[in-house]
Amino acid sequence: MRRVFAFLVVLALLAILWEGYKLLGALWGGTWPILGTEMRPRPGDSSMPHVWDVIAALFAPARRNAEPLILTLFVATLYTLREALVGFLVGALVGFSIGVVFVRSLSAERAFMPYVVASQTIPIIAVAPMVVVWGRQLELPGWTMVSIIAAYLTFFPVAINTVRGLRSPEATATELFDSYAATPWQRLTKLQIPSALPYIFTALRVSAAASVVGAIVGELPAGFADGLGRALLQFNQTFAADPAKLYAAVLMSALGGIVFVGAVALAERLTLPSARREVTT
Amino acid sequence: MDYIVDAQKLSKTFTGSSGTVHALADIDLQIEPGEFVSLIGPSGCGKSTLLRLIGDLLAPSSGTLSVNGKDPHRARVDGDYGIAFQKATLLDWRTVRRNVELPLELAGVPAEERRSRADELLQMVNLAEFADHYPWQLSGGMQQRVAIARALGQRPPLLLMDEPFGALDEMTRESMQQELMRIWRDTGTTVVFVTHSIPEAVFLSTRVVVMSARPGRITHRITVDLPQPRDFEVRESPRFFELITEVREALRQREVTV
Repeated sequence: MRRVFAFLVVLALLAILWEGYKLLGALWGGTWPILGTEMRPRPGDSSMPHVWDVIAALFAPARRNAEPLILTLFVATLYTLREALVGFLVGALVGFSIGVVFVRSLSAERAFMPYVVASQTIPIIAVAPMVVVWGRQLELPGWTMVSIIAAYLTFFPVAINTVRGLRSPEATATELFDSYAATPWQRLTKLQIPSALPYIFTALRVSAAASVVGAIVGELPAGFADGLGRALLQFNQTFAADPAKLYAAVLMSALGGIVFVGAVALAERLTLPSARREVTT
Repeated sequence: MDYIVDAQKLSKTFTGSSGTVHALADIDLQIEPGEFVSLIGPSGCGKSTLLRLIGDLLAPSSGTLSVNGKDPHRARVDGDYGIAFQKATLLDWRTVRRNVELPLELAGVPAEERRSRADELLQMVNLAEFADHYPWQLSGGMQQRVAIARALGQRPPLLLMDEPFGALDEMTRESMQQELMRIWRDTGTTVVFVTHSIPEAVFLSTRVVVMSARPGRITHRITVDLPQPRDFEVRESPRFFELITEVREALRQREVTV
């Protein structure tokens, strides 16, 4: 509850800062006093719409006789979050599996780690069209391609942190399991995975946010009309005429991301006792 | 006589990037069932290495070694020894009881039997009321008692201890020694105990094995003839101090020649 309160306080402060800047802009005619230079970003309504205009845009119909924008965006956000969730789950599973394989086999790690790292240096906007083209050739449903793109951004932090986490037990813990003549499976399930959980949850938080970005970006080459990606693109194009709509869409996608990361944090709370939470990596 | 540990001409060398290190050379050591043997010596004398050879956590470079009349590997797989380290090494995500259950769980002991055995062991180390606590809720001494209870889970004939009280304060240390004495008497298990502390070695042991470094060798074997059961009075007896002096001189003597 305290967390939600702090969040709202900061939100209110940001709104005050935004409006304060605009107010000063209006008072000074868009020029810094003393310095005499122009204020950038321009405090005018065309680049920085009023907070209430953004809120008003949310509740106004996007087109004539249509439903309020917030409803359209809400549906779009749900759609995108669903793609992100599937991508996140697939990516987390793939990342975890890669981590387990790498820890079990040093030669697998040596052989494949460079490719795993290289995969993340290729920008997602280069990968996304390829996935879409291949997906179409394979006749996959559109949303699965978006999920694959989201998974592509998700698996890496999970893989890296799983490797790190599985190797985290101290030497004496490993010796202890040696002394019990534990099988590799027992060692994995009763020592390594529980030790790795704080590391994995840290990665999952990063991945949750990344998967939403991946889904939004993935929707663009897929040409989806239903998701947030399309809405953001569309409002980007009409930004000059109607900036409030883009800000409204940005707010919704941020909210979607927060909800998603929050869900992961909640899962962590329920899984790990407080003493083991939040490993810094 | 069947020895529980029988080492003959045992040696261990480590080969690393900085060359070869002779950790242990020509170790002959026979330990009878029921003995309490301390290994003492300067850092690098190989006492922990010797303990790990007995536990089959390391393989000897040459020589022969039998544990409980078997090949050390067989003895390890059969659960013939329990082990405790300087760090309690409890699993944070398990309660105290489930930490004690761990070796039994890995050995496939049924859940109910495991639980009652764990409760029995916690009773023995006076931690019954902490069974449902988590390790981080306990003091260092309590954690170490849990580790000892865990090591005794399968009633092993041999208990290997690597400086188990090394990280504890002096007061806790003495009461832990007292407690270990009682457990040793009650269970009849053989103990091999690595330590840096001369009074600790003398107080606990029936025999103190003094080692020297580079290469690790056994230089003296001192039988401790203090009366059993030992209590705080023993710590103040003249014989206790004589034995401490004897061990200290055995350790120094080697230092001078090296």
